Amino acid sequence: MKKWFGKWLPAFLLGIVGAAVILIGIVYFNFISQRIYEDSTDHLEEIYGQVNRSFRSFIDRNWGILNGWGDSFSLTSDEANVRVADLIREEQGYWGFSEFYFLSADESCRTLDGVESSLKLEGFWESLMVRREPVMAGESIPDGQEVTVFAVPVQHGSYEGFGFDAIAISYTNADMAKSLNVNAFSGKAKCFVIHGDGTVLLSTQTGGNVFSNYLVYLKAASDLNEAKLSQIQKQWESGVSGIVQCKIGGDTCCVLYQPVGYGDYVLLSVVPWNVVSAGFLGVQKITMNVLIVIFLLIGAAALAFIIWRGHNQSRKNRMELQYRELMFDVLSSSVDDIFIMLNGENQSVDYISPNIERLLGISMEEAKKNIRVMEKCAVNYDVVIPRGELAAIPIGGNRYWECEYMHQTTGERRWYRMTVYHMSIQNVAKYIIVLSDRTQEQQMNQKLQEALTAARSANEAKSNFLSNMSHDIRTPMNAIVGFSILLEKDAGQEEKVREYTHKIMASSHHLLSLINDVLDMSKIESGKTSLNVDCFSLPELLEELNIILMPQAKAKKQSFEIHVQGMPPEQLIGDKLRLNQILINLLSNAIKYTPDGGAIEFTVCELTQTAQQYAKLRFMVKDNGIGMSEEFQKQVFSPFSREISSVTNKIQGTGLGMAITKNLVDLMGGIIQVESTPGKGSTFTVELSFALPEQKDGKSWLTQQVTRVLVADDEEEICRDIEELMRDTGVFIQSVTTGEAAVEAAVEAHRRGKDFHVILLDWKMPGVDGVEAARRIRANVGTDVPILVLTSYDWSDIETEARQAGIDAFMPKPFFVSTFWQTLEPLFEDMSVRKEEKASAETGAGVLEGKLFLVAEDNELNAEILTEMLNIEGAKCELAENGQEAVEMFEKSEPGYYDMILMDVQMPVMNGYEATRRIRAGSHPEAKTIPIAAMTANTFAEDVRDAMAAGMDGHLAKPIDMDAMRDLVGRLLKQASDAAGRTTGKGDESV
Amino acid sequence: MKRQHFSALCLLTAAVLLTACGGGGQAGREQVTTLSVLGRKSDMEKSYMTKLFRHYETNTGNKLDIIAIEDAEFEADAAKRLASGDVPDVFMHFHNADLSRFHVEDNFYYLNDESWVGDLTDSARAYCEDRDGNLLGLPFWESSVSGCYYNKTLLDSLGLKPAATQAEFDMLCQALADIGYTPICWPADGCTWMFQFGLDPIFADHPELLESLNRNETVYAEIPEVTDMVQWVKNAAENGWFGENYLRTGWSDISPVLGRGDAVMTFIWDTWFYTDFVGEGKYTVDDFAVMPVFMNTADEGTYEGGNLNMMMVNKNGKQLDAALDFLRFCATAENYNVAFDGISTVSCFKGQTTNIQSDMVTDAKASISEHERVSTAATRIIGYSADDVSAAFDSLLRGKTDVTGCVEMMDQYRIEEAREQGIEGF
Repeated sequence: MKKWFGKWLPAFLLGIVGAAVILIGIVYFNFISQRIYEDSTDHLEEIYGQVNRSFRSFIDRNWGILNGWGDSFSLTSDEANVRVADLIREEQGYWGFSEFYFLSADESCRTLDGVESSLKLEGFWESLMVRREPVMAGESIPDGQEVTVFAVPVQHGSYEGFGFDAIAISYTNADMAKSLNVNAFSGKAKCFVIHGDGTVLLSTQTGGNVFSNYLVYLKAASDLNEAKLSQIQKQWESGVSGIVQCKIGGDTCCVLYQPVGYGDYVLLSVVPWNVVSAGFLGVQKITMNVLIVIFLLIGAAALAFIIWRGHNQSRKNRMELQYRELMFDVLSSSVDDIFIMLNGENQSVDYISPNIERLLGISMEEAKKNIRVMEKCAVNYDVVIPRGELAAIPIGGNRYWECEYMHQTTGERRWYRMTVYHMSIQNVAKYIIVLSDRTQEQQMNQKLQEALTAARSANEAKSNFLSNMSHDIRTPMNAIVGFSILLEKDAGQEEKVREYTHKIMASSHHLLSLINDVLDMSKIESGKTSLNVDCFSLPELLEELNIILMPQAKAKKQSFEIHVQGMPPEQLIGDKLRLNQILINLLSNAIKYTPDGGAIEFTVCELTQTAQQYAKLRFMVKDNGIGMSEEFQKQVFSPFSREISSVTNKIQGTGLGMAITKNLVDLMGGIIQVESTPGKGSTFTVELSFALPEQKDGKSWLTQQVTRVLVADDEEEICRDIEELMRDTGVFIQSVTTGEAAVEAAVEAHRRGKDFHVILLDWKMPGVDGVEAARRIRANVGTDVPILVLTSYDWSDIETEARQAGIDAFMPKPFFVSTFWQTLEPLFEDMSVRKEEKASAETGAGVLEGKLFLVAEDNELNAEILTEMLNIEGAKCELAENGQEAVEMFEKSEPGYYDMILMDVQMPVMNGYEATRRIRAGSHPEAKTIPIAAMTANTFAEDVRDAMAAGMDGHLAKPIDMDAMRDLVGRLLKQASDAAGRTTGKGDESV
Repeated sequence: MKRQHFSALCLLTAAVLLTACGGGGQAGREQVTTLSVLGRKSDMEKSYMTKLFRHYETNTGNKLDIIAIEDAEFEADAAKRLASGDVPDVFMHFHNADLSRFHVEDNFYYLNDESWVGDLTDSARAYCEDRDGNLLGLPFWESSVSGCYYNKTLLDSLGLKPAATQAEFDMLCQALADIGYTPICWPADGCTWMFQFGLDPIFADHPELLESLNRNETVYAEIPEVTDMVQWVKNAAENGWFGENYLRTGWSDISPVLGRGDAVMTFIWDTWFYTDFVGEGKYTVDDFAVMPVFMNTADEGTYEGGNLNMMMVNKNGKQLDAALDFLRFCATAENYNVAFDGISTVSCFKGQTTNIQSDMVTDAKASISEHERVSTAATRIIGYSADDVSAAFDSLLRGKTDVTGCVEMMDQYRIEEAREQGIEGF
């Protein structure tokens, strides 16, 4: 008790002192307020007393003046009165009245100028005329002005024939107001002269008056009730002055009333209280402020004392707590366990170890605000801080959960055992949560598990691969072996021999493609594949694709269309071979897995690319084929994956194509996606970026005098595209959308002597098609104008008819300027020569005939096959068993003895590359010029590149395809012939 | 027998007479003229108009083909008709900004020389004249006086009286606002006429300013009175003189607000009290009186004369003479007095005697006579559009722009409209 008393005594005393100060302040404030009110109202009464006296003297003065003039008027002499009137006129400016009136007892009146007027005098006529008293009255004169009239009775007289009994002067109320104006209140005071009933006679308001009856206004606008107003009215009617405080429109005002002392007139003043007491209130405010400051200082001192004491005590407590917390923080920072203490009632955080930031990426402050923030990093959300389950733990008991958390910033996962202890500290429930780190243990288990899974998976993959390979290799091998047996048996039957060999060749090709794929795949996956990057033409690539794939599509009666959207660059830098491989894979699959009569659509478009020197292209292969299940789409790019169905089972494939495609796209830094619906078709999208070559000067259309081109296509968009693409060439393009219009335009141009330099016709147009249009144009225009047909279809069927109709060349859609030029160039140079060259190139027959080859081949079987094949073609060869032997044979040969060298690459003693290098470095006169072609089963781009680097001129893939050999040999021999006499003549030919 | 002869004679006589009558009738029908009169449907259906049309047909034997177009489609439909050359003999339209689309100078006859012109009241004639003083049409319409209509009963009960000057008007507004009344019912939502009241004195009292404005040699922004008016409207709104909900107050709210006495004054016209004021609250039409409108552009305030529907005559029509005769018929005292018999309206014609005037207007006759100005802003300012001006004020009152910005917007809209009309100099 004593202790309590000692503790709270100062506060108690301080309270008493404070209360006393407040009490004194209130009493003082009331006292001051009362004094201020009294002084202010006294001041107000004094001011308006003076105003009232001044107003009264103004009234008296006017009556005095009027009486003076009245005495001057003569009873009989009208002329004398005129003189008086002149005097009054002269004095009007001095006294400031607005009008002078002669008043007759019959209530008629005249102005000094003799103008008839009308004054009502507010019922004062009787006072004036009967009781002969001076009067003052308010008037509204006809021009709308409010005036105050002062009148006095005079002896009856006559002025300009008007008999008068009284005279009067009037002041405009605006002028009158000036005499009542009170400047003491900054113009914020209103002052009125009112009648006893409140009717306003005049007002001091600047600009006019809008109050008709101020008593009524007070009744409506103030907080004075009717009784109080009635009392006030009675007071001023009985001649008593007074002052009352009230609220008008929210402002406290003083309303002061003082009877004027004439008639029922009352001087009424309304002054806002804050204006009245402005000065006094200032003193009051200062006094109050001083008192408040003193009180606040005392209060602040007392408060400071209490705070100091409390602070002292709490500082000790805090220090102790900080010491403990610091110790715990240091302890926890060296371990990976997290400690949390929660209040059992509201689960607010009492303590959390600082290592939570390091371990989970959550700041202490964040966690302290709301422990639920830990849920953000919980992988198994449900067991973070188990809601509702904490209360179920008995006091003194504990429970634990296994939890997985992810670091908020690093994403690192950690595993904890969370043990919750329920305790009671000073009857307050507390939960102590210990998150014990089990990450290492968990990771070790996981690694073991992963290793086990990986081992199993590898084993399974190996088994699968072997199983697949076994199956896929055995199938064609079985056919080859089987038909070989049959071939031996039926060797005498020419028809069967042809059939069996055909089947053996087909199975061999399949087996070869399988092996190529496997090797390709293996090489890509081992990371040994590199890209052969060079400049290539997109139009050429598309044309090649069209040439390769159109026949396949046509064989299945499918439509195959290539679309180019926008204007992608024609020249790109990339690995054309690999891109070709990707696209052929996708397109072949589309054709393969689309039933007869379906539609294959290949679209190329340019995407927005941020880097200037790069172009990003999207290649989209869309078919309406069998499609893929959603499940299969997920593994379509996995090796050996083929969807099992009644349809796919009949289609031959290795299941490696898409995996290779995916790997190649990855290698080129692109993306590949697939969308597919079973039964409706698939869409494969590949997006790749290509570097752009430096812009070179375009073909000179003008030097070839090509300035006008007629284009006819029923699709206006294609016409517009061509116009846009040709814009930079300076060539004028006239577009029409029908064959008829094309004929008309060509004939009209011919008639004007301004033939088009080239006419480009769409093949399939409604009405007159391209071929018919060409026929008609030729009939009218002649043969001087080259006519080209633009088509996305295989034109081989109509080529003969078209050429007969006068068409000079065909151009595949989509339109490219470079393709256009390439098509036109030979026409301009020498169409006949070009045709011959083309015919020669097309036949290719006999190119090997009579040629002698030096063949380096270590495999006897391969050597025998090649020898036989060359013999069939009418050629001969001499064999070398390795590179060394080949070098020696060449060195010994006479110049011109060998036409060409076919060099195997992998040979004992000396390989093909080394042998080639030796030959090229040799002293033989044809060392630099003899064409050397590699023969190798290594068909990768880098193999071709290595061959070229060694000095070879071409590359033939094993097994040797005779068509490819004819083609290569033909070109290399021609090249050698063209370069005869020159020391270098290497090309870059690969088949 | 004699009786039979007599009967036959009677029949013969009757037949001759009937034949003669019939022939005369046939001849009369041949001279019948049918005039086409095109106008807004609700205008054509006014009782005095239908009475006039009947009166004309009955007295002349001519016919009128009344083409009444639905109100909502009137402007567009009429413009389309006239543009395609389908100009009626007589076309009825108010003299406002919309009239410019009808190419008045190309299509309609100037009536300056008509004998009835001298019978028009000055304000009616001034309303119907174009900027060059050409009389465009015959005003045949109910006319009203626009001013500041106030609740005199309420004002009396508050010990207040109407204002006679701008300063008094401001005092009155403040006195009312101080004690919790909304001084002015300001229907800012869709009602667009108030602003022209403020502009009228500027341009009616200073024709040289109007000319300069219409030659695009000056703009509102260079006329201090325009800025004064805009500033006054802004201050009034900020002082609470329009009440709290004035931005959401529209046409249909004026009647209940005034009827209940929530607001004391509004800027409107007397006919409105007889056509739209329902008096559903405490106050009826008898409680109202009129004083001038004060918008800080005329210290003594202003009234605006009536906005009148005019009858214009197709000057290229085949029946020009007949159409002019029709107007002469309408402008004859005995005919217009038949039409306007008992109608509450201000007179358009000096000889108009049968119409009646509202007490409000009669009581303020002296003030109206002194301070009335012909509607000038809406009819004489090239490019003036009440909607455009209202839009500028809307931006001001919603705080989207300041006074200067509001005046600039008014100028911008006016000049754009003038350019659309192809007025030279813009």
